Amino acid sequence: MSRKAANGARGATATAAAAGGSSSALPAISSDDMCPVCKTIRYLNKDMEFLINPECYHSMCSNCVNRLFNDGPNQCPYASCNKTLRRRGFRAAFFGDLKVEREVDIRKRVAAVFNQAEEDFETLRDYNNYLNMVEDLTFDLVSGDDASRSKAEAELQRWEAEHKADIERNRKAGREAEEITRRRLAAEREAARQRRIEAIREAEDEKRERALSREQELDNLAQAADGQRVQLKRRGQTNRATAAAVDALMSSNSAAASAAMASADVGRLSIRGLKEKRKPAAAEGPYDAFGGMDFVPSRYKLSEDLNVPWLDKYRIARDYVTGGYSFDEYTSRAMYEAFAGLGVFIEDEKEVGIGLDASRVSAISAGIAAVGDKMELD
Amino acid sequence: MEFNIDDLPILFPYPRIYPEQYAYMVDLKKTLDATGNAVLEMPSGTGKTITLLSLIVAYQQYYPSHRKLIYCSRTMSEIEKALVELKALMKFRTERLGYEEEFRGLGLTSRKNLCLHPSVKREKSGNVVDARCRSLTAGFVREKKERGEDVDLCVYHDNLDNLEPHNLIPNGIWTLDDLLRYGERNKQCPYFTARRMMQFCNVIIYSYHYLLDPKIAERVSKDLSKDCIIVFDEAHNIDNVCIESLSTDITEDSLRRATRGAQNLEAKISDMRESDQKKLQDEYEKLVDGLRGADEGRQEDAFMSNPTLPDDLLTEAVPGNIRRAEHFVAFLRRFIEYLKTRMKVRQVISETPPSFLSHLKETTFIEKKPLRFCAERLTSLVRTLELTNIEDYQPLQEVATFATLVATYEKGFLLILEPYESDTAEVPNPVLHFTCLDAAIAIKPVFDRFSSVIITSGTISPLEMYPKMLDFTTVVQESYSMTLARRSFLPMIVTRGSDQATISTSFQVRNEPSVVRNYGSLLTELARITPDGMVVFFPSYLYMESIISMWQGMGILDEVWKYKLILVETPDAQETSLALETYRTACCNGRGAILLCVARGKVSEGIDFDHQYGRTVLCIGVPFQYTESRILKARLEFLRETYRIRENDFLSFDAMRHAAQCLGRVLRGKDDYGLMVLADRRFQKKRNQLPKWINQALRDADVNLSTDMAVSGARRFLKSMAQPFRAKDQEGISTWSMQDLREHQAKMAHEEIQELKARQAAEELENSRPAAVRQDSDYEMDEDDEAELMALDVLQ
Repeated sequence: MSRKAANGARGATATAAAAGGSSSALPAISSDDMCPVCKTIRYLNKDMEFLINPECYHSMCSNCVNRLFNDGPNQCPYASCNKTLRRRGFRAAFFGDLKVEREVDIRKRVAAVFNQAEEDFETLRDYNNYLNMVEDLTFDLVSGDDASRSKAEAELQRWEAEHKADIERNRKAGREAEEITRRRLAAEREAARQRRIEAIREAEDEKRERALSREQELDNLAQAADGQRVQLKRRGQTNRATAAAVDALMSSNSAAASAAMASADVGRLSIRGLKEKRKPAAAEGPYDAFGGMDFVPSRYKLSEDLNVPWLDKYRIARDYVTGGYSFDEYTSRAMYEAFAGLGVFIEDEKEVGIGLDASRVSAISAGIAAVGDKMELD
Repeated sequence: MEFNIDDLPILFPYPRIYPEQYAYMVDLKKTLDATGNAVLEMPSGTGKTITLLSLIVAYQQYYPSHRKLIYCSRTMSEIEKALVELKALMKFRTERLGYEEEFRGLGLTSRKNLCLHPSVKREKSGNVVDARCRSLTAGFVREKKERGEDVDLCVYHDNLDNLEPHNLIPNGIWTLDDLLRYGERNKQCPYFTARRMMQFCNVIIYSYHYLLDPKIAERVSKDLSKDCIIVFDEAHNIDNVCIESLSTDITEDSLRRATRGAQNLEAKISDMRESDQKKLQDEYEKLVDGLRGADEGRQEDAFMSNPTLPDDLLTEAVPGNIRRAEHFVAFLRRFIEYLKTRMKVRQVISETPPSFLSHLKETTFIEKKPLRFCAERLTSLVRTLELTNIEDYQPLQEVATFATLVATYEKGFLLILEPYESDTAEVPNPVLHFTCLDAAIAIKPVFDRFSSVIITSGTISPLEMYPKMLDFTTVVQESYSMTLARRSFLPMIVTRGSDQATISTSFQVRNEPSVVRNYGSLLTELARITPDGMVVFFPSYLYMESIISMWQGMGILDEVWKYKLILVETPDAQETSLALETYRTACCNGRGAILLCVARGKVSEGIDFDHQYGRTVLCIGVPFQYTESRILKARLEFLRETYRIRENDFLSFDAMRHAAQCLGRVLRGKDDYGLMVLADRRFQKKRNQLPKWINQALRDADVNLSTDMAVSGARRFLKSMAQPFRAKDQEGISTWSMQDLREHQAKMAHEEIQELKARQAAEELENSRPAAVRQDSDYEMDEDDEAELMALDVLQ
């Protein structure tokens, strides 16, 4: 844009014509280590920079530019190039290939004029034909001979004059669209950054929490009066989800109370639903690993020699038999598991505390025993 | 062996079957019945391939739909192995059935492996073979010949035209060798025979790439029908294959060659303008109407290929500004120049496709839309120009592919420019990585098109990771354990050296002398007790080199040398294969050998160490990926944001699948045995990520061992394994005869009946209860009955 403003429309025409005339003589930068004007090599000047002037696209080092053009407009130092160049026209080339640099400059000019979008056409075919036309025109400008170039130039100006309003409108629309994309990209980048921060924070939180819980565990170990409390605590720790709740509980006032409770319960294994029936174990009695629990089945009877044909294979088949395996163990365990938990009524427990009405229990167990017998007969 | 699953009669070519094979078949059938996808893990060495083939072939032959099987495997040798198995199976079926079935199975591989042309087949590089083959077989070359010009043609290819197009090769199973031999005998090209016959085959066996790489898939696998059964075997690495197939790297050199290609193209166009204006004009006319009109169907010899394009794009016309050939070439040159300029930047850049495109538009006025058509337009142009020396245009095509991909996908891709090879490098060697981050993109067309996709491997744990990463749903996800008559492999996790110091290859401690010494003594001890071969895996080449030199300094290698020959894997394939050869010789003679290799190298993936070739595998360190790589970092971030997979989960999953793959190398069958030692403290926590069959065999007592404990355990194990072991001992336990199988089936049926009965009984009970209540009000009931009913209620 700045270039266009500097040269004006007439200047641009001259540029294109002049550049075309010398285009065949454009030096391909074989080595960008030597200035073609003063022959300085990069070895002598580490930060040598090459500049071009879009009048003729002849590149030279910045020292040469200063030397030649500081005192006002001068002729291009290249032989057979008689362009007059100005200091402010010089700039660094974006592309290594100066032909492409020039082409892009021309395209910039063309795109400013031919800026219709797909929405401006009724059919895709029209749009494609339009694109084709623009491309032909650009091609003439870039690499056509003198006649075709001037023709294209005329066409460009004609189009610009004809579609002035459209061009202005589309330019505005294009700028808006650009703005929107830029904003969208920025927003996306920002969101990604936020997510990254979030993830890092999450990971840190987790780490801290883990460290904290480990510390507390250690604290509890240090303060524990007896082994029981530690064990209780540890059981809570294994469950991550409840760890926080446990922590809160421990830190509050009730912690002391629960600790006291726990120490009072020493030696008593808590199996829900059976608690009240047993007396608190006598402190002076011999230690009983099962807390005095009776393992004789109360709701069914195990007969010694079970004579059920479909169970035989568990007694004999190789898939099942292994060292330490006993068939009786298997049957008794199966029965135990089938009946385990029967007679536990959560609702009642909640109300009465623990335990059942003795009479009710016996009634139920009688009923079960009846069924149990039946099942064994099956 | 002959048996039924449900109503499907199966012929299994061995007299005995493993229990896990039977279970695998049952699940596979379930999947096929439901026309869904499945992820199945079956221990290595339990005959996965034959199980798969025999079930699917039975399925094809029994049901009228005759669904085609497409079996994809990873390497040439695996493809060949599968073909041999299939051949044996079909032979068995013929014998059993008493007649030969109408059945055709073919394997497909590259032209290089299947060429018969006397001069072309001598070329070394696959690309050159492809290009030369094309120059002898392309459609326009033959047109020229018909016009009377003097051009070379391939006799083998031409002879195909004399045959019936749907019957180029008789029925039967053709291994690659068979195909070559048949081709030689009948003077017909094996490669094109296979390609053209794919439509008429019941079973096709080829490499993943023919299905996953969109550039190839579109040409080779386009005409397969929807109900095909797709099997990916050895699929534990499938996500990486997907990603690689859509990623490209562009270097300065490739850009230079692309420029040269563009210049050549330009010259050709101006030549043609003068000599044969009409052809260019024809192409132009066609392009005006739409892309697909330009080429009359994609022929098999279309040689420049395109990455996946959405369908709407394929029917749309080429944008007007790249319609003319000259315009298009100028367009390409501008794009290449732009890339060259970007490469000059001396800092690392990572950007998304949209931001790349907007910068591109700002500086070169290249719009997104023509960029998208780049690859397709180049294909069309090359065809019009009738170019034959394709290898010159390879880099240009890469650039065009890159252009199309970058303009097509906004999400799931990232551009990373790395100006220096490493952090310490002084001389810039810029590489522009265009990386695909999402494995689901490449495999999506496969899942969309085919109704049954089976993903299977020996080590594919954890199973749920794959549906998550590849974005599909499964009917069955199953991991089978290994039934064994004796504990034939002993996994152990060694966490400490004999001096009780922990051993680990984590970054902070990996070079500490005590760790290195402890690893060394573990190696020495195991070398002392292991008979024959022993394989050691390191996490990386770099670490392997440093640890070997340290061992040398400590005199550990001299100690190991007393027991075994030491061989080392190198990145060079030739050297490695020589080392392997020597290793095998040494294992068959005398004291055996140790092979030191890398967990992600060639040895860890494709080479089996069965029987005496591998009695011990030692995995030193968890084989994590190099986490500083920018590409990996980008992928991790993508996985976290898109699929909610955390970085550490993925890294550890990836490390463990490689570790499992290494461990699986030594156990290749039920009569095989081996020691599996995982030596790193960190394995203790990752135990659950091992495949089920290894994890089950890992006893709790073996997870936290010191070197001396591990050695004594290993010694005991090896002693018990040295006892004679007869096939008879396995019967009924790890192998089933027909009778065992029948018993099992009866048992399963019985259980099912029981279950049904139980359900029925429950239902009846459910029904009878309200009735009882009603009866209660109506009738006086017998006391006992009432008690019984109540009891039943309680029971519920």
